[in-house]
Amino acid sequence: MIIKMEDVMKRFGRNLALDSFNLEMSKGEVIGLLGPNGAGKTTCIRAIIGLIPVDDGDITVFGTHQNGKNRDIKRRIGYVTQELTIYEELSAQDNLAFFGSLYGLSKEQIAQKIPEVAQIIGLEGRLKEQTKHFSGGMKRRLNIGCALMHDPELIIMDEPTVGIDPQSRNFILEFVKRLASNGASILYTSHYIEEVEAVASKICIMDQGHTIASGTLPELIARIKGDSHILIDVRISSEEKLKELRAIPEIKEAALIDNRYHIVVPGGITVFDKIIAVLSGQTIVNVNSKQPNLEDVFLTLTGKQLRDEA
Amino acid sequence: MFIFNLKRSARDLFGHLILIGFPVVLIAFFNFIYTKSSIFSGIHGQSLPFLTVLTIGFALTFQIYGASLSFETIGSDFFSPMKDRLSASPGDLRMLVISILTTAAIVSFLQTLVVILFSVLILKAPLPMLHLVLPVMMLSIVFHQLLGSVIMLASGSVKTSNAILSTYGSVAPMLIGLYFPLPNTAFFSIVRNYSTPMALANTVIKGIIGNDTSRILSALIPLLAMTILLFLLMRPLIKKVAL
Repeated sequence: MIIKMEDVMKRFGRNLALDSFNLEMSKGEVIGLLGPNGAGKTTCIRAIIGLIPVDDGDITVFGTHQNGKNRDIKRRIGYVTQELTIYEELSAQDNLAFFGSLYGLSKEQIAQKIPEVAQIIGLEGRLKEQTKHFSGGMKRRLNIGCALMHDPELIIMDEPTVGIDPQSRNFILEFVKRLASNGASILYTSHYIEEVEAVASKICIMDQGHTIASGTLPELIARIKGDSHILIDVRISSEEKLKELRAIPEIKEAALIDNRYHIVVPGGITVFDKIIAVLSGQTIVNVNSKQPNLEDVFLTLTGKQLRDEA
Repeated sequence: MFIFNLKRSARDLFGHLILIGFPVVLIAFFNFIYTKSSIFSGIHGQSLPFLTVLTIGFALTFQIYGASLSFETIGSDFFSPMKDRLSASPGDLRMLVISILTTAAIVSFLQTLVVILFSVLILKAPLPMLHLVLPVMMLSIVFHQLLGSVIMLASGSVKTSNAILSTYGSVAPMLIGLYFPLPNTAFFSIVRNYSTPMALANTVIKGIIGNDTSRILSALIPLLAMTILLFLLMRPLIKKVAL
């Protein structure tokens, strides 16, 4: 077992950031930690790395109790921070060399690893340039590269695609998939459902500090398989109508995205007449039903649209 | 780590320009205005050439501003998201702080050296006993680098340290009579010679030039003691940020 978190509690003042949180990760797994902003994803990561002490519960990493002081655990983890943590006044090569040296690599090892990592992150040929002149996507890739210099057994990526263009985002996702196919153990947090769907072999949905559900994508979808998802597009939507929809006892969940009502109804229940009655007076443009996906799982289990929260 | 931090500070060309260019320009400017004049230094009736007073005074003044070399670097590493990345590594972060302080002290010393060499070689400032003056300059640099870092680590704010050091850097030169002469009374003599760490360093250097051992010791001992005190204060403060 690479990571085991048991009933972990972490409080910041009155805010309960982790609430009896549980997580298990085996070697070679790619776990996608999915949750809205403020769900506790970063707190969870910081606790795993040992950057913050927890108030209760237990965390073991590589089978060793995490107390924040074990250098051997730190040496085996590569941490990609959510914010850019590179030295922009220095070159990409200087950055890679510095972080390599922090993890105890010798000069020879650093010299050997730099071109290797540069190729992985697509920055070969740009190594000597000052990174402040890099694009946002290049900086993000270097941010990742700095965590790979020491060949970590566990790579922890905290929202590594925040604030970058779609092209760089795709590059990073492809790159994470490549790492995963090579057997890397990766903990990947995001509030983008499609990212987690794309890279993760196991998904852990968290909200308000605790695990809502975890499993593979088919397992999670199976949990709500019996539900019907009805999508109704209207010309002008209304929060009042949404409240009325939610008040219908047969409706499991209802959400509003732009001018689309997303309604979850348990399978076999006919409630369409009540929905139409509520939406009377609204111009209905389109009505559709669809197969559930991860977004529907999130909506059903948390009662929230992740995209709205993010 | 040392080379890495040297590279980091070398990239701050604007900072170097200010810390070397400003004192050089000010020395040349004041020298141009008061060419060949001589002022009373206030130390045992010893009279020093104005250019010598200016060179020592401005070199010491800009060492105070040079303290930002270390505390701003420590601040950007330990009071920003970078701290998480550094703390997640198995590296010895105390060594990183020590390396930042050492590098900053060396860079500040090189800046002081350039200012002094400019005065001595270009403006022909008489500056005897340079081999003894330079170690005192280094002591003053170490003191101010430690002072800025202690304030920053204790307050947890680069801004606070900057504000305090900037205010001190503006007032301290006035208190040694660098910008304008102070009244020649016993009170102002004490203010001029002992009121601030900069005044202490200035007094030691003038004592060295004037070969006045009691004057040297009277200022050197407290300056040394304060430097050691700051050094001792740094230890728990470093521990606080660099676990």
